[in-house]
Amino acid sequence: MKTRSTIRPATLSAATLALLAATAVPSPQLVAQEVARVVVNPAAITLQVGEKATVSATAYDADGNVVEVPFMYFSRDGRGRLAVDRFTGEIEAFKGGEFEVIARALGPTRVSGTMAATVAFPPIDRVEISETGGRYYTGVTVRHKATVFDEADDERDVPVTWTTSDESVATVDRFGVFTAHGPGEVMLEAVAEGVVGRITYVVADNPVTAMAIEASQARGRTGDLIRFTPTASDAGGSAVDDIRITFSLISDPDEIATADIPPAEIDGMGRFVAYKPGVYTVTASVPGQTAHATVEILPRHVAEEVQFVGHAPVRNVSTSDLWVWEGVDGRDYAITGTHSGYGSTYWWDVTDPANPVLTDSLIVDARTTNDVKVSEDGTICVISREGASSRRNGIVIVDCRDPRNIEVISTYDDELTGGVHNLFIHDDHVYAVNNGIRFDVINIEDPANPHRVGRFELDTPGHAIHDIWIVDGIAYTSNWGDGVAVIDVGGGDRGGSPENPVEIARFRDIGGATHAAFPYRSPTGRFYIFMGDEIGAPAFDGQEDGRTPEFMDGYIHVIDFTDPENPEEVARYEIPEAGSHNMWIEDDRLYAAFYQGGLRVLDISGELKGNLYHQGREIAVYKAYDPDGVVANAPFTWGPQMHKGNLFFAEYFSGMWAVKLLPRRVLIP
Amino acid sequence: MIGRSRGTAACLALLAMAAPHDRAASQSYWVYAAAESEDEVALLRYDAGGDLVVEKTITTGWLRAEIEAPHGLAMDPAGEYWYLTLGHGFPNGRLVKYATGADTVAGVADLGLFPATIAIPPHGAVALAVNANFHGDHVPSTVTIVDLETMFPIADVVTCTMPHGSRFNADGTKHYSACMMDNQLVEIDGATLDVTRRLDLIANMAPPGGENCSPTWTTPHPDGGRVFVPCNKGDVILEIDLEAWRVTRRIEAPGAPYNLDLTPDGTKLLATLKGSARLGIWDVETGDLLHMIDSLMRVTHGVIVTPDGRYAIVTVEGVGGDPGTVEVIEIESGTRVASAEIGKQAGGIALWKMEG
Repeated sequence: MKTRSTIRPATLSAATLALLAATAVPSPQLVAQEVARVVVNPAAITLQVGEKATVSATAYDADGNVVEVPFMYFSRDGRGRLAVDRFTGEIEAFKGGEFEVIARALGPTRVSGTMAATVAFPPIDRVEISETGGRYYTGVTVRHKATVFDEADDERDVPVTWTTSDESVATVDRFGVFTAHGPGEVMLEAVAEGVVGRITYVVADNPVTAMAIEASQARGRTGDLIRFTPTASDAGGSAVDDIRITFSLISDPDEIATADIPPAEIDGMGRFVAYKPGVYTVTASVPGQTAHATVEILPRHVAEEVQFVGHAPVRNVSTSDLWVWEGVDGRDYAITGTHSGYGSTYWWDVTDPANPVLTDSLIVDARTTNDVKVSEDGTICVISREGASSRRNGIVIVDCRDPRNIEVISTYDDELTGGVHNLFIHDDHVYAVNNGIRFDVINIEDPANPHRVGRFELDTPGHAIHDIWIVDGIAYTSNWGDGVAVIDVGGGDRGGSPENPVEIARFRDIGGATHAAFPYRSPTGRFYIFMGDEIGAPAFDGQEDGRTPEFMDGYIHVIDFTDPENPEEVARYEIPEAGSHNMWIEDDRLYAAFYQGGLRVLDISGELKGNLYHQGREIAVYKAYDPDGVVANAPFTWGPQMHKGNLFFAEYFSGMWAVKLLPRRVLIP
Repeated sequence: MIGRSRGTAACLALLAMAAPHDRAASQSYWVYAAAESEDEVALLRYDAGGDLVVEKTITTGWLRAEIEAPHGLAMDPAGEYWYLTLGHGFPNGRLVKYATGADTVAGVADLGLFPATIAIPPHGAVALAVNANFHGDHVPSTVTIVDLETMFPIADVVTCTMPHGSRFNADGTKHYSACMMDNQLVEIDGATLDVTRRLDLIANMAPPGGENCSPTWTTPHPDGGRVFVPCNKGDVILEIDLEAWRVTRRIEAPGAPYNLDLTPDGTKLLATLKGSARLGIWDVETGDLLHMIDSLMRVTHGVIVTPDGRYAIVTVEGVGGDPGTVEVIEIESGTRVASAEIGKQAGGIALWKMEG
């Protein structure tokens, strides 16, 4: 039996309850209505996909009397698979599986009852095999994988049995590892619940009589990507291009490799990289034939020394982003924003970076001026606002031709009220990340009259955006779980413009916590996008006692975007003790802020593969300690920028710093 | 008085007996107050006649470098848990469940875009959080229904554009919210949790009607027959008769009324006046203004009345680097008796307990 009565007026407000409890005044109505248990009818049910049923619930008090209360029905594990009408208890099965349906009594004791709903999976529809079949050679072994789909087009995790049609031609093991033994036609079958997926191979005798292998370089350094190119030839000297070649590696590192990382790695495409100096032999194999090539790997020797240059202290409020530029008067200036403060922004003369001079400041109605950017000609500064008291945030456009006397030209907040966290200026347009879900394009050709000309928003469910960076008319947006989006805003070949941004490509990296992205066209010809995570330990439960900085996590993913249709995640820069934040790339060097891990400088020359942290590519690490900082002696590096040979960076707890990299001095005995 | 409010009236009588004046003088009041631009929640204690003290500051949020905007606060009727909305997420906000006193996280539920106020009916089984979506496109948004035991978001009920002021009536049979951008009062049935009625406040405003309203709050009267709604852009508080389902009275409230509360006996109406940084107190029966109290800082936000009806506790956002403040106002005299500074942009507030 299901009851649908309205809630009786026996309940009290929270404050009233608290007062009654404190003063121990009994409430007869409350006691009379207490639900002790809920029974759901039926206790279990089995449905087919597409079937409906209705469940009901009854509430009882401690004495077994029925209590009339309304119920609310739902299923936590049924989302998208089992629809539950919260009021009527009607359920409808859309996908197979085991689900729990909860009937919650809307009464003060929060008692619920549960029912098990079993929805039979639809029959298996098809089994797809990872390879397509075709010519194959005796002796060759390749692992195959099977993916099983049911009639609802859902991927299913069910046992798969592998067989071949003729074991004299080829055999397969339970993992799909397929080996050809003799010539002939053979079917490879993967069977799941009676449904067969099959491909056909025509196996021929292995024609290879000679193997050769060539390394792209005979000597390299740790971190260098070396390509090994094998050649298989038949008796007539012709290349056999369609035989599967495998690679193996014999490592002889100079250092004894402990178990934390391998001394080197090679992938199925013959791309090799070493983490340790030493001698490495790569073997390319086909059945009956092998070839070897040996390379020598030397230490990378890129470390440099860091020389402190100057400090522009900000000690009363946390510092956010920075921008450094050459002003119209030929002097060098920097602008720094603030975070969780009082809406201040600071201008500095950094012509002598050893002695930065505060030239002007601005306070706007905001708590955070997270991002600060300067137009290409150095005349316009734009500040993002968050936490405005009016809740109308937007941007502030500032005349900064004279950084000693900056003047606000205009503000713009139309439909930007949710807070602009990041922005970029490109070709007289401000690209403002708006409310965390899209970017708006604001024309500032007349900075006194800014106006929106375009906007861009992803189309995925629950999409979000955090940052935007633009190079040569291509925007790179960082979109948390949606990864990076590459968007033509006038510099691409898709007809995009500020008024009509057109997406070119999108890539979701491993992990999906994309916070910042920086494009880099390497002298090697490869085009990389560096995608930085931002992952933090939640600030719950008093983890910030004394307001010390918390631990941040995540790393920088390196994506080879040379072919935008087929981007590939090829490398990472992951340091064990901290997480990534903002970055800057120039002349084969990555300058990266890693919060409590400080400022890191990484050699990104050559092609990239593997974890760059372990390859001897780190040029420098610098941690800025300020005993008078917002939090004393607590490096929490926010973002770097290289400018005229000086490396400027924002420190969350202490302002802006400048350092210089110097060649490491070697003592000569 | 309509029939279903009899139980509430009986309880109010009990309340009156339970709080004799001499005893109330020694009472302590504990409140949680959110600081939206600091990602903090402060736990404060006010001992009647003494100081307002910040007992604890609880940090919240997932990322240090992102302000996640703790906005709405609500207390579970049994006092075991308190609930907090975080406005900014990735992009959706969240409802966080904290164990009261220990202030440790007990659960999290996903909500919609910029969730704001939370209402919990007396039975405490669910929460209704309005997804205000303050900064998104002006399209209808939702109220998310969350099962508080499992912290499972059961449904998103579409209501209106920029819903705010989520409140249940005293017996939990009806839920009300207001729509800042399309000037509606929306009623949700407490049992079916579906929308039952909508009232166009502009069309129903008593003369001179037709002006803007931008309603920001709803406060049902304990008699069960009416609900008060402030027009933040109309400088007026509307009284809506729930049986007639129309506006029956306008109470002038210059200064952008924002949040409301009533004394437990229903005789006094309190409103924060966000634009003029004041708290107004009116006589509900006559509509007369009793007190207008200046706040120490700009931008008054939340207000709650203590269960004994003696004090109003008000949050004040401040501007820029101003600290948020919490102020205690003695209702009878209309005087501020205590205040304390907390993190920036103090907003949501909920009473935990009254002791003594």
